[in-house]
Amino acid sequence: MRNSAFLAVGLLTVMLAACGSAEPAPVVEQIVVREPGAPVVDAGEAPAVLDKVALGEEAFQACTGCHNAQAGGPNMSGPNLHGVVGRKAGAVASYDYSDALAGSDITWNYGTLDRFLANPAGYVPGTDMVAGAVRDGERRAAIVAYLASTGE
Amino acid sequence: MNDLTPEKNPSRLAKWSRRGFIGAGVLAGGGLLIGIGVRSGNPIDALAPKVAAGEGEQLVNSWVKIDTDNIVTAIVPHCEMGQGAHSVLAQMLADELDAAWDKVRVMQAPTDGSYIVTDTARMFVAPFTMNAADWIEPTWDGLFTQIGRFADALITGGSSSIRTTGQHQMRVAGAAARTMLKGAAADAWGVPAKEIETRDSTLIHTASGKSAPYAEFATAAAEQPMDQSPKLKDPSQYRLMGKSKARTDIPSKVDGTAIFGMDAAPEGLDLSYAATLRAPVPGQRVVSMDAMRAKGMRGVLQILNLGDFVAVVADSYWQAQQALNTVKVEWTKPESAIGSTQDQFDAYAAAIDAAGATGGEEAAAKGDAASAFEQAATIIEAEYKVPYLAHAPMEPINCTAHVKDGKCDVWTSTQVPLMVRTGISDATGIPKDAINVHHPYLGGSFGRRLEAVYATMAVRIAQATGYPVKSVWSREEDTQKALYRPAELSRFKGGLDDAGKLIAYDNIFTQRHDPAEASVPGIYAIPNTSVRVAEAPLHLPFAAWRSVDHSQHGWFIESFIDEAAHAADADPLDYRLAMLEGSPRHVAVLKKLAEMSEWSAARTGGRAKGLAIVESFGTIVAEAIEVDMSSGSPKMTNIWAVADAGYVMNPDGFRNQMEGGMVYGLTAAMYGELDLEDGTIVQSNFHDYRMLRMDEVPEIKVAIINSGDVPVGGAGEPGLPPAAPALTNAIFAATGKRIRELPIAKQFA
Repeated sequence: MRNSAFLAVGLLTVMLAACGSAEPAPVVEQIVVREPGAPVVDAGEAPAVLDKVALGEEAFQACTGCHNAQAGGPNMSGPNLHGVVGRKAGAVASYDYSDALAGSDITWNYGTLDRFLANPAGYVPGTDMVAGAVRDGERRAAIVAYLASTGE
Repeated sequence: MNDLTPEKNPSRLAKWSRRGFIGAGVLAGGGLLIGIGVRSGNPIDALAPKVAAGEGEQLVNSWVKIDTDNIVTAIVPHCEMGQGAHSVLAQMLADELDAAWDKVRVMQAPTDGSYIVTDTARMFVAPFTMNAADWIEPTWDGLFTQIGRFADALITGGSSSIRTTGQHQMRVAGAAARTMLKGAAADAWGVPAKEIETRDSTLIHTASGKSAPYAEFATAAAEQPMDQSPKLKDPSQYRLMGKSKARTDIPSKVDGTAIFGMDAAPEGLDLSYAATLRAPVPGQRVVSMDAMRAKGMRGVLQILNLGDFVAVVADSYWQAQQALNTVKVEWTKPESAIGSTQDQFDAYAAAIDAAGATGGEEAAAKGDAASAFEQAATIIEAEYKVPYLAHAPMEPINCTAHVKDGKCDVWTSTQVPLMVRTGISDATGIPKDAINVHHPYLGGSFGRRLEAVYATMAVRIAQATGYPVKSVWSREEDTQKALYRPAELSRFKGGLDDAGKLIAYDNIFTQRHDPAEASVPGIYAIPNTSVRVAEAPLHLPFAAWRSVDHSQHGWFIESFIDEAAHAADADPLDYRLAMLEGSPRHVAVLKKLAEMSEWSAARTGGRAKGLAIVESFGTIVAEAIEVDMSSGSPKMTNIWAVADAGYVMNPDGFRNQMEGGMVYGLTAAMYGELDLEDGTIVQSNFHDYRMLRMDEVPEIKVAIINSGDVPVGGAGEPGLPPAAPALTNAIFAATGKRIRELPIAKQFA
């Protein structure tokens, strides 16, 4: 055990090495979009126009705490939503749905998804989806458009 | 007594203590220990404004201050990450000072080299190693001070706060301060100091009827000579130590006013927020960055390529993270040859195979294992493996940074504030004395925040933007791009004689970090032992993870001892007791555990019990777990623990730490696993790196043995190592299925 002191010094060295390089690290690329407090859209440039699917993908980020919409993505608190438009409610075999949803006999389309997202528990009482209602109709439509695009 | 356990050599320990502290003198030998404020020639003037800035406050010494409202403030050099260190260290200081507990406050020591916890530094330099080479001993003090500085050892870790800072500094500071107050009062009252009593922050001279609050003599006390080795209380005199005093941080954590790193909202600063993306494989660098989409997204301020990582700065964290998610980055080719989990274990197996029967670096050796195996009637062999683990602290990794006029302020949760300062200085070129590290409470850490990378990243961003930025790591980044408890492979061979006694023990494994003795089965009297390390590549960066090497070896050793007991057809408790005959503390702990858990009671209805005992960080802990296997998968129905830490300063806090250590260890045992694919960690968040839940944890009963008269042991980590083996040993007892690979749950899925 004569060498244990040196091993421990080795550990400290490792910890130190993790602190960073001895040479100050340069900034390779710096893109300045605007300064803090400046208006969100620069008047000199046309604002980026995003299509509905892209808007929906952005809006869907609010749902990603519980849902994944990638092909082969995992079930999270909520089921994977890849290709959800056109399929029956409760159709992801690997996900444990609430009895309410599994027995609802709903087929997901633009209309049913819009109703469900507006008020999940109102449309399917007993659903486990207790959060995530989307109040804004445009956002709902965009999210559904995005979800529909995942199945294409 | 087994000679493989250096920390059990009392004569060495006594010598050590005198040398390191009392004999050499705190101030002369290790001036950074305590009392720098009263050491002649010390920079008290430079330090005083940092800790006693208020009007009417007088610095008595650097570990305690007393203000004119008679409030005693303990200046604590350790961070508070839920373990209760702030409160219990104040409790120890206040007891020696005879301060009224309701008039005691706690203050985080500033990030200043003066507060280097020298005893802690020494522990990290020579963890529990009292039998260091003789030639080095005469220079220990110099060595540890130097290395303490070198390593910026303002560390909270190693279950060390109570046994180093508390025992050797806080108590001494409290006792010294009390002596100085008494001296000042004696001078003023014209009575002998020894006739003055102290109680509840009050000086009392019964004969003359005089009494005064401490505040009255705080100023005069600072002029008193400081006794470098004040007499500490005997346990019979304790008023606060050994009692479950309510923690000082409870109110603020209940009403939400407690400030964690993530809460940093420095006055006068308008914060922007950064999200960061590090390389998927450690060591990769950015080849190119495509930020087209992010540039048009709401709230975005800047997009940065910093070479080793990419950042988006925005008006809010969420906007920054959303924009970052759209940035496409091409990285350099990984350098590590290890791509998959299998590759990592193949590399380990190859290293162990290459070492052969006698190769590798010697970690411990006793007797003649090779010859003993020839005498053995029975040979047993086993190979165990454990996966990489993340720390997964609840508070996300974060750091707020502001760089202006060549000065840098950071606010971050850290276990190593001085190392953070050094890391920032190295990465940015800002001189250390221009860097101020503010470190509020940590929302969990478990070793995660023992490094400086996230703080240096935040400062590099703030330096580039020129305005204050709060950097926050997503949970996915913390799960996949941090530092990790190493995966580990360990092979055992045991030789039993005709009576089943373990006479030969051989173990070779692949990752040795800290503490050095973790892999040594030192508590057991095994006559012939060989423990070796085979050098093997480690794909992910190493991190100390609660109990460090004990987290792996506790499970390996206690599983193998259990296998030996069953090979000998012996009861696992009796088998261990027979090997612990010369160690009365271990025997007492196991006997208490047997009593609590009703070990000898019959097992019924698919239930069975397993046990394990591990000594780590100076504390002996034995645990027993009862499992119900009737559903086909393990359900824990009872957990018992017995701990001997020598003397427990705050029983409630100690129990909390034991329970926390067990639950953390059982989470890892049941579920914890990080897999590698293409060199990258597969798991990303709590859905696939899950924690043990409330309904899975039965009642935990913890008993404390104060065996006294031995060095005080740690609390934060020792509860962890016995938990996993107690569980897998219970599963074996119930089913005959020996778990040799963690985690457990997937083997019953």
